[in-house]
Amino acid sequence: MGIVGAAKGFWRTLRKPPATISLGVLSVGGFITGIVFWGGFNTALEVTNTEAFCISCHEMRDNVYQELQETVHWENRTGVRATCPDCHVPHEWTNKIARKMQASKEVWGAVFGTINTREKFLAKREELARHEWARLSANGSLECRNCHDYDSMDWDKMSDEAVFYMRPAAELNTGCIECHKGIAHHLPERSADSSPVVAALEGRAATSLSDGQDYFAYRPVTVFAGEDMAEPAGQLNLAARIEVLETKGDKVHFEMKAWRKDKGYGRVLYDDFGLNARVAVLEKEAAQNAELVQAGTPRNDDNTGLDWSQVTVKLWAAADGFVADDEQLWDVAAESYSSSCSSCHAQPDPDHFSTNAWPALFAGMVGFTNMDATEQELVLTYLQNHSSDNSESH
Amino acid sequence: MTTRRNVLKGLVAGGAATLMGQSLFAKAAQAATSSQGTWHVTGSHWGAIRALVKGGKVTDVQPLEDDPYPTDMIKGIKGIIYSPSRIKYPMARADWLDNRENADRTTRGDNRYVRITWDEALDLFYEELERVQTTHGPSGLFAGATGWRQTGLFHTCINHMNRAVSMHGNYVRKVGDYSTGAGQTILPYVIGSTEVYAQGTSWPVILENADTVVLWASDPLKNLQVGWTCETHESLPYLDELRDKVAAGEIRVISVDPVRSKTQKHLNSEHLYVNPMTDVAFMLAIAHTLYTEDLHDKEFLDIYSLGFDQFISYVMGEGEDATVKTPEWAAEICGVPAEEIRSFARLLASGRTQFLFGWSLQRQQHGEQPYWMGTILASMLGQIGLPGGGVSYSHHYSGVGVPQTGANMPGAFPLNLDLGKTPKHDLHNYKGASNVIPVARWVDMLLNPGDKIQYNGHEVTYPDVRMAVFTGCNPFHHHQDRNKMRKAFRQLETVVAIDFAWTATCRHADLVLPACTQFERNDMDTYGAYSNTGVVAMRKLVDPLYQSKTDYEIFTGLTDRFGRAEEYTRGMTEMQWLRQMYDTTKAANDGRFEMPDFDQFWEDGMVRFQRGENWVRHAAFREDPEINALGTPSGFIEISSRTIEKFGYDDCGAHPKWMEKAERSHGGPNSDRFPIWLQSCHPDQRLHSQMCESDEYRATYAVQGREPVYISPEDAANRGINDGDIVRVFNDRGQLLAGARVSEDYPQGVVRIHEGAWYGPVDASIGALDTYGDPNTVTMDVGASKLSQATSANTCLVEIEKFEGVAPPVTSFGGPIEESL
Repeated sequence: MGIVGAAKGFWRTLRKPPATISLGVLSVGGFITGIVFWGGFNTALEVTNTEAFCISCHEMRDNVYQELQETVHWENRTGVRATCPDCHVPHEWTNKIARKMQASKEVWGAVFGTINTREKFLAKREELARHEWARLSANGSLECRNCHDYDSMDWDKMSDEAVFYMRPAAELNTGCIECHKGIAHHLPERSADSSPVVAALEGRAATSLSDGQDYFAYRPVTVFAGEDMAEPAGQLNLAARIEVLETKGDKVHFEMKAWRKDKGYGRVLYDDFGLNARVAVLEKEAAQNAELVQAGTPRNDDNTGLDWSQVTVKLWAAADGFVADDEQLWDVAAESYSSSCSSCHAQPDPDHFSTNAWPALFAGMVGFTNMDATEQELVLTYLQNHSSDNSESH
Repeated sequence: MTTRRNVLKGLVAGGAATLMGQSLFAKAAQAATSSQGTWHVTGSHWGAIRALVKGGKVTDVQPLEDDPYPTDMIKGIKGIIYSPSRIKYPMARADWLDNRENADRTTRGDNRYVRITWDEALDLFYEELERVQTTHGPSGLFAGATGWRQTGLFHTCINHMNRAVSMHGNYVRKVGDYSTGAGQTILPYVIGSTEVYAQGTSWPVILENADTVVLWASDPLKNLQVGWTCETHESLPYLDELRDKVAAGEIRVISVDPVRSKTQKHLNSEHLYVNPMTDVAFMLAIAHTLYTEDLHDKEFLDIYSLGFDQFISYVMGEGEDATVKTPEWAAEICGVPAEEIRSFARLLASGRTQFLFGWSLQRQQHGEQPYWMGTILASMLGQIGLPGGGVSYSHHYSGVGVPQTGANMPGAFPLNLDLGKTPKHDLHNYKGASNVIPVARWVDMLLNPGDKIQYNGHEVTYPDVRMAVFTGCNPFHHHQDRNKMRKAFRQLETVVAIDFAWTATCRHADLVLPACTQFERNDMDTYGAYSNTGVVAMRKLVDPLYQSKTDYEIFTGLTDRFGRAEEYTRGMTEMQWLRQMYDTTKAANDGRFEMPDFDQFWEDGMVRFQRGENWVRHAAFREDPEINALGTPSGFIEISSRTIEKFGYDDCGAHPKWMEKAERSHGGPNSDRFPIWLQSCHPDQRLHSQMCESDEYRATYAVQGREPVYISPEDAANRGINDGDIVRVFNDRGQLLAGARVSEDYPQGVVRIHEGAWYGPVDASIGALDTYGDPNTVTMDVGASKLSQATSANTCLVEIEKFEGVAPPVTSFGGPIEESL
């Protein structure tokens, strides 16, 4: 008969109408049974809420648990420790149950070995992290704020740098996770780009994109002609502005308005007419595909004699490479510029030079810094976006 | 040829190089102690050195055996530490001490000072900052001048001064520098980068591929002795390889220069003489020949450049001047026979030609023009971006052309305020004046507050400056026209100078603070400014001499006076900073370049990395000019520039032009009164004005205790001057004494005094005779053009006469005349 047969028998017994037991006994018995079951369920639930339970699976023990132990949430001068459930299990009952229902998927994963090696875990980490980020994003980082809250922060005791970043976040009541991703575990690896500026921005990536809204690339983003994302059509530069047409799962279909020079293949897209602040580089085929790139009437740039055309491009990309606010990018860029470019001399104010002068000056000196290619791109774009063309002081 | 270098190169090629190189080095580098004392490794502008310390004194300095080509100047280092010109105590000008802003400023420069305590000195410094900020606002303070500070990334004094003064208030700053002002301004419009400080094509690529190398006013053998950070001298052996190739007839090297340079003589290469300041006329005629003989690369010009038509119509006489720029036309001006111009142009077009331009060429009136022409000639030859072809403006500088390792280098002490911090007085009202001044115009600024000048497409209004702070630089060496400067300094109410030696700038200051030398503090430095060959530990050799302090201590003391010392230091000691700088670098290199932990590094004295890959400048642009666009307004080479044309300047237009100078030898303006051109290029036996105070070493080249003036046999004979005579060099702007060195290397009408010779006037008066031989006593202080407003030091005519009678003693060196209160 086996388990199936036994279960069937049990259900049969339950469904049979009572023949010999009184209603009162039934009611009282049911009540008592209910208490026993309820208690057991809760006890069982509480067991699953302990660190010991979490790390009873080696997937947790060998990966995220090890990483936690390197962080301030594990060991600190005040001796307060956050264990797994403090951050990952909602403290309010309904949410807790909902989270447990979701978590059954993780049990499934453990049984079927979805992430039973380090390699598999690393390959899956981004997806796992995204679920957790989305959850924290949706609840305004509730679990963080059970311990940390803006109202309890003593601004005078913070460093000026911390205040610089934290004040605006407090004013907007921004959830902690929006900036502090990777605070307790390693961030998902990005094989394509390990630039420190990208790492700094990674924590601030938009967790979901809204249709019709503008976003800004915070890392080089590969773009594609079609939804299948089979053939790369080019790459967005850092800080490139896109307008979301629609999102499908982890993909985004977007529109971008830009300008390009009519000398060459038209592969390089610029932010504005006559200004060499670059926003994207397209593959030759994509650049010349009128369905992807719609070009307006050429206009002559009197400063060079070259013709420029306004273009509208519609392309696809992975949805995870964007931030909602370009100030996020400029903060990181300004800090990099100020520290990297003052080793030998006082760095000029960004608005001391024009958008078209910056590339040459930057190219002439950047060799003295430790900036990698991505950081160079971000800082140059920052300087161009804050140049004398964008300011009234010079 | 088996040299030690080749053996080392073999090791590198062998793969085990990093490991072996390091362990070999580590063994050698450990401090060796014997009865003679202890040898320590440290770095300097002149290369990495070992110094022998015994009984708290540096007794010997030797180049590190790692140095393939040590400079003779290593011999001068000991004399820097123990110079009689060292500043021993904080001092103040007596009258200023009593009367501050109401003091008599006409006695500024009389070299009379009163000794004060450190506490008094820093109180005074702080009080004056307070007074100026609260009375005049940020436009009253100029703290922007900078220069070739001593080496060391942590103690870099410019950063210390800027950070500390910025904590107190805002101030007027500078843009540009004295070395490359015109070049760094024009080239971004033309070839899309400042170029002057950019890494260049690797020397091995040039040696392998070039048929002709043109050294245009460039003397790398002289200038590569020093580096912006610790110099490795790795580029100099390539000059030996070049010499061998010249001897074997494999490469022709032609030095275009009024004088026979040190490099030309070393290479035993050809010389093409051009009259001073007439290179543009010569170049226009070359363009004329290339064009009319159809030797120019039309395809290259079409794909990679804009504006050739407009330029060439000027060459062909279709411009406003209606003058065809034929070789015959140019020969009259530049002194090169027309046929020689033609054959030179044909030679350039006959094979792979690499232009290597020096900086002297742009340190003159209209200095933008020859640099612009350099790019145009290279474009006409169509070899920009090819190995061994194209144009470079930097191969004589700090080891440019040595392949870069790609390793991260340590940062520096922060120059800026920490993020989120603001100055004590966060005032931004510059009273309508500019807060950034083109560097070579700041003396003009002092004399003409409120005046407006044109600069690089916008207008600059001079602020009314009352106080100036100088550190790590010596404007009384690098600025032009001493007598104008002395007049301008009378406008300043307060001048603070921080230095380790009594430079002329200190002698014109009111408050002088003694910093220690780099050999009296712990630090670290990049080994190879461009090659990033390694990191050198700079272990303190001896304690700060006299009452000198590190800049870190000095400015900690200053910021403490307004409660910002903790912020200034971030609560860290010197060694904590060094450890942090090193650890950050080690982390950044993790996985790419191996670095030992800090303690091991500190003991070894150095960490070295494997040499980088060969590289070709502008190759990426050549390969794909659209994606790898240049930084010009169009992204292409701009042979004519509409952007500059729109500025509407009369001294820098749409394309290069031949323009007559305010004064010019060999038949030019004013040559009837002052027939001799004075060139004041970088010295062979100093780093600018550094090391001039090293007495014993100076004695190896001085003539009767004076700076040498190099003069042709003809000019000397015509004036009755013999080698070794003291002579007076003069014009309407000033006068100086120097010692004549008669040399066949100089043509008639050309003399040289190396810049950096210490100014030593006989008294505080304007027009006073300089007793040692500072060439800037007689140079002209005008902007190169409205575009760059850069220095025009090399536009300078003089007359020379034998000095009769008893020459006044040299006043440049030694301490001040100490007065007691």
